[in-house]
Amino acid sequence: MVSAKKSKRKFIYVLRNIWNCRMLYLMLIPVIAYYIIFKYVPMYGVTIAFKDYNIFKGVIGSPWCGFDVFKTIFASENFWRSVKNTLVLNFATLVVYFPMTIILSLMLNEISSAAYKKMTQSILYLPHFVSWVVVAGIATNIFTQQGGTISWILKSFNLKPIPFLSDNKWWIFTYVICNVWKELGWGTIIYLAALSGVDETLYEAAYLDGATKFQRLIHITLPSIKSVVVVMLILQLSRMMTIGLDAPLLLGNNKVMAVSQVISTYVYRLGIQNAKFSDATAIGLFQSVVNVIILLAADKFTKMIGEDGII
Amino acid sequence: MNIWLRNRKITIGSVILYFSITVLIFICAYPFLNVIAYSLSGYNAVLTGRVTFYPIDFTLSAYRQILGRTQIWISMRTTVLVTLMGTATSLVLTIFAAYALSRNNLPGKGLFTGLILFTMYFNGGIIPTFLVVKGLGLFDTLGALFIPQAINVFNFIVMRTFFRELPKSLEEAAKIDGASELQILIKVVLPLSLPIIATISLFYAVGYWNSYFDALLYIQDPDKYTLQLRLRNLLFGEELNSSGITGTNLEGIGTEVMSQSLKMATVAVSTIPIIVVYPWLQKYFVKGVMIGSIKG
Repeated sequence: MVSAKKSKRKFIYVLRNIWNCRMLYLMLIPVIAYYIIFKYVPMYGVTIAFKDYNIFKGVIGSPWCGFDVFKTIFASENFWRSVKNTLVLNFATLVVYFPMTIILSLMLNEISSAAYKKMTQSILYLPHFVSWVVVAGIATNIFTQQGGTISWILKSFNLKPIPFLSDNKWWIFTYVICNVWKELGWGTIIYLAALSGVDETLYEAAYLDGATKFQRLIHITLPSIKSVVVVMLILQLSRMMTIGLDAPLLLGNNKVMAVSQVISTYVYRLGIQNAKFSDATAIGLFQSVVNVIILLAADKFTKMIGEDGII
Repeated sequence: MNIWLRNRKITIGSVILYFSITVLIFICAYPFLNVIAYSLSGYNAVLTGRVTFYPIDFTLSAYRQILGRTQIWISMRTTVLVTLMGTATSLVLTIFAAYALSRNNLPGKGLFTGLILFTMYFNGGIIPTFLVVKGLGLFDTLGALFIPQAINVFNFIVMRTFFRELPKSLEEAAKIDGASELQILIKVVLPLSLPIIATISLFYAVGYWNSYFDALLYIQDPDKYTLQLRLRNLLFGEELNSSGITGTNLEGIGTEVMSQSLKMATVAVSTIPIIVVYPWLQKYFVKGVMIGSIKG
């Protein structure tokens, strides 16, 4: 009896609470509607990866075909090449980008003139806000073999022009350069934030103890940003299978397709340009699943080494 | 700056530091200068590729040509329209979501938040989304360019974190005075959140301004091409002759080379709005990024 009374009171309390929050629910209606329509309905749409999709029958009406689509994809050489290219491009970018952002952050942190530092940051962050179309356009100006700036410089030294955009290996180089140029400055923000949080008295004490600048860097600065560095590295490694579509699509061309075709561009070409909806969706699904697995593993790993999780 | 750093002498280390930073600034700024230089150079210089960061044979003809390209201005208008509508929609929805889900007492908060955060890790992919957009009749409308990606989860997290950290006392005072949640949001919370609103608006606006892929996916009518899509076609020659971009009033070799200056002038025109807005918001967005990267 007593507990029934209690639970009834609790029920009324919850109802009243809901009623009090009616305005908040009203605000959430468009938000949830948006998520259901544009995120969760498409999630149901991934079922076409298991269907023989027919444009006239639609998502629901098309007949199921089990794992046939996946069998076709996993047997396709183009698919595995796009997976490999995704990994290669991401890894190449990470290898250059990751240490450089840290080094640049440490350098910026050493600038003592506030005005100079601010100006530097303004300029370094700017490329992040420029569209990939523009970046690729500028890259063409600079790197193209016929009438590009670098070719012209090389020519004036009587050197052979370099096929930055049309040779496979050089194209990867160009891709990495463009990515690093665009995101290097932006990537320093998080480290600069960590660096600004370092306890000043530590430096002071070390200075009084006669530590050199280099010793202060090794023994104070680096240990204090270590956890940010580790988390950022894990976070970036866990994104190895994800690649933006803009850069490979815009910088790529037919000559370098063997290295520039990545998962996202493959899905686009297959799905939108060739209307193979089921195949493209299956690849997208494969990528999403792999991503979730990597992410969960990475989260577990971060917690294991004593950091906060990344999810 | 710290006292023990301020009084130091000029060392070799600091010379190297300032020198390398200056080199880096130049590398960073060079492509921008290159665009401007190209757009202002004569066509012989452009043809040989010897234009670097200053104009050679200075001429304004590329800009004069742009003035006559109605298509570019139509695209500019479309982009401005999409950016304004998109930023407004995104901002309102993000504020609603972030505000409602930053309240502690909301029943079902965990469920709704989970619903939103889950989409960060798993999504249907481009084809199922494309089919939904098409099914809703948004294909080839400007709505397709901002409605399907109205809320960015990262921006939502940043804003929710900001709202959570606001002092609770003010809201409680307003509540005691009988203000509704909506009134609290408009009269108390939003005026205190101008920095974060500026940041998030910048992120959304830049995103809409720069996106070309959605237009590539969803827009067929050339009159509705956004500036970035037009620019892409112009730079990478998807519609070389059909749209008249390469110009019919120029002849022979001049056409192609002229168009290189013209291309860069278009790049400049399309990027200037960002460069103009950016310095005003810089002091805000650094904080926004930090809040976002610490995660919600």
